[in-house]
Amino acid sequence: MSQVVRAFRPVVDNDKCIRCGNCQTFCPEGTVLLTGEGVIHDYRYCTGCGICANECPVGAIEMVREGAG
Amino acid sequence: MDKEKIFEEHYKRSLIRAGTACCPGCGGPLFWRMALEALGPKTIIYGDGPCAYCAIRNILVPTLGIHFSFVADGATGIAAALAAKGRDDITVVSSAGDGATADISFNKVSAAAERNENIIQICIDNEAYMNTGIQKSGLTPFGAWTTTTPRGKETPKKRIPMILAQHRVPYVATVSVAYPADLKAKIAKAKGIRGFKYIHSVIPCPTGWRFDPAKSVEVVRLGVQTWAWPLYEVENGILRLTVKPKARPIEEYLMAQGRFRHLTKEEIELIQREVDEERHRLLEYDGKSIIH
Amino acid sequence: MSFTRMMEGNEAAAWGVKLSRVEVIPVYPITPQTELISAIASMIASGEMKAQYIKVEGEHTAMAAAIGASAAGARVFTSSAAQGILYMEEALWMPPGMRLPIVMCIVNRALAPLGGLRPDHNDSLLQRDTGWIQLYCENSQEVLDTIIQAYRIGEDRRVYLPVAVCYDGYFVSATATPVTVPGQEEVDRFLPPYKHELYSLMPEDYRRPQWGTNIARARYEVQKAMERAKGVIEEVDRSYRASFGRGYDGLLEEYSCEDAEAVLITMGSMTGTARDVIDEMREEGRRIGLVKMRCFRPFPSEELREMAKRYHAIGVVDRNTSYGSAGGGIIALEIARALYPLDDRPLLLDFHVGLGGSDVTMNQIRYMADRVLEALDRGKVEEEVEWVELLDLGEVM
Repeated sequence: MSQVVRAFRPVVDNDKCIRCGNCQTFCPEGTVLLTGEGVIHDYRYCTGCGICANECPVGAIEMVREGAG
Repeated sequence: MDKEKIFEEHYKRSLIRAGTACCPGCGGPLFWRMALEALGPKTIIYGDGPCAYCAIRNILVPTLGIHFSFVADGATGIAAALAAKGRDDITVVSSAGDGATADISFNKVSAAAERNENIIQICIDNEAYMNTGIQKSGLTPFGAWTTTTPRGKETPKKRIPMILAQHRVPYVATVSVAYPADLKAKIAKAKGIRGFKYIHSVIPCPTGWRFDPAKSVEVVRLGVQTWAWPLYEVENGILRLTVKPKARPIEEYLMAQGRFRHLTKEEIELIQREVDEERHRLLEYDGKSIIH
Repeated sequence: MSFTRMMEGNEAAAWGVKLSRVEVIPVYPITPQTELISAIASMIASGEMKAQYIKVEGEHTAMAAAIGASAAGARVFTSSAAQGILYMEEALWMPPGMRLPIVMCIVNRALAPLGGLRPDHNDSLLQRDTGWIQLYCENSQEVLDTIIQAYRIGEDRRVYLPVAVCYDGYFVSATATPVTVPGQEEVDRFLPPYKHELYSLMPEDYRRPQWGTNIARARYEVQKAMERAKGVIEEVDRSYRASFGRGYDGLLEEYSCEDAEAVLITMGSMTGTARDVIDEMREEGRRIGLVKMRCFRPFPSEELREMAKRYHAIGVVDRNTSYGSAGGGIIALEIARALYPLDDRPLLLDFHVGLGGSDVTMNQIRYMADRVLEALDRGKVEEEVEWVELLDLGEVM
């Protein structure tokens, strides 16, 4: 279903997450959501731009190479 | 929980779907996501052309576009049709890029301002013709590399918000996606005002400005913090700075972008002097009328 | 209540717009169209007409505003001439493809350079490929009637195309002829309110035509709409005659053509002069008639083919130029294509006349008619294209 070609994907460590919502606020495509159970990504459309990781004040999001397991 | 369903509902609520045709890290869809939150569903968006507007296909409110060189004109017609039908519950937004606003259709924006059309005119400013592959526009800043200014642009950027403020329209504001609360407040305010409103938004462009897409928000935040992108509004002629950060050196903003990396020390100093002068002018007029 | 009085073409046009209950009017002034837009401004200022009147900064914007308003569900009118039409050209291509039934008056005026303030037809004829329906009017009454008809034609769901109502600057726009202005109630019965089935920009009811990825298919739809428009133009004109007692024979009007062996084809104000000349010549026993081309787009090919079976020589009066063309002016070129499939084609002569807005005189029309009859006698055409104004016809100018 995904038409997105992406080199990296964001992976969240919800234990580190302080629920500030920056990742959701600044995601251009709107593919990050802060839910009651932590941050989730919509990988169908995430472009892997890395803004969510860059804007996270505590480094809870890591950009991981696609296909690296 | 069904993640896809949660996101589908989220996109519907946001009035813009994910999966736009924009580059990774583009400020365009980010701007629209924030703007639509303030505008709400009773909005008609008119515009075409600028690549930050590639998000258009994903916008869920009514849209109409004619072509790149058509700015404010069709919105004028839509606003007139709504007036003829007594529909004052709908906000008409006209959107254009920097080249359309400042170059090819500047006459149209100026004329719509003079007629005080009841529309919100938005400039999606990524500081060059990015859709055609990074060519210089009237809003490309001094010194910036583009494919048509390979040694840097020789002349400064037009001051469109100030020029429009001098049309004595009810509302003019500059916004940045790095300051979402400020952006949404200004658009919400514009929505509540009758007559011509102008919103000028900086749109970070990783592709054309040459930086890592992850730094998009960081770069335009630096723009505000260095006063390259002062955030202000002009309401009925009164200037008000809405964000007044302690000024950081302009070099930090310039060197974060590949398009400025060729600048000499002297050129950077020149830009710093101009930014300082502008900052002093803005601070001097903060809270005062700029209509003379 | 209807009434009759002398009226210039521009004022008659303003009445046509008012009676059509137009809602949005974006306009920009240009001679010889200005009296039309100031007449509308006066009607709005005095309260007799209710419309959003937008004084835009150029013709490109006038058409763009018309597009926005039409898509948003308003009945729209605009008008221009000559350089204004050329400045508008980028926008002119949009309404046909977008299927928006805007009505525009083109008050014909010669183009610069080598033009002036008076009419020839290059300004509107240049737009022949855009997808606008083009109707040409002879006098003030026809202007008023054609504007009302134009809305019903363009807004017909079988058509959904914009309509240009063209009339000559000065000779029609500023010449007073008797006009019967119908009552509003009569017009309301003839012309229902504008409702576009394909469009709504209202958030509660948003819809827009989807063209898909096959561009040829979308263009073919415009072509089919153009073809259907022929029947609709005729139908609307018949219905107009039934309602108001006046009509214009649809696409082409044949004047004094009974047992004629040859015809002259004219367009616009020169037709009035030609009627007088043909009357004189008929009295002299010359077997020539007159065909007035009212509709240039869609082009009445089938109707011309039918006529060509009856007339053995056709003279085309082309008030335009097409430099370096296959031969002659724009109308002659179209007619040649229309008649090409016939086995037995009539002789075809083309005349350039009235260029840059000079008068088309009775002498010139008589000269052209003579040439057509001469060709008929000889059974061949000596000169395919003649520039009549270069000839010394003994005119007192």
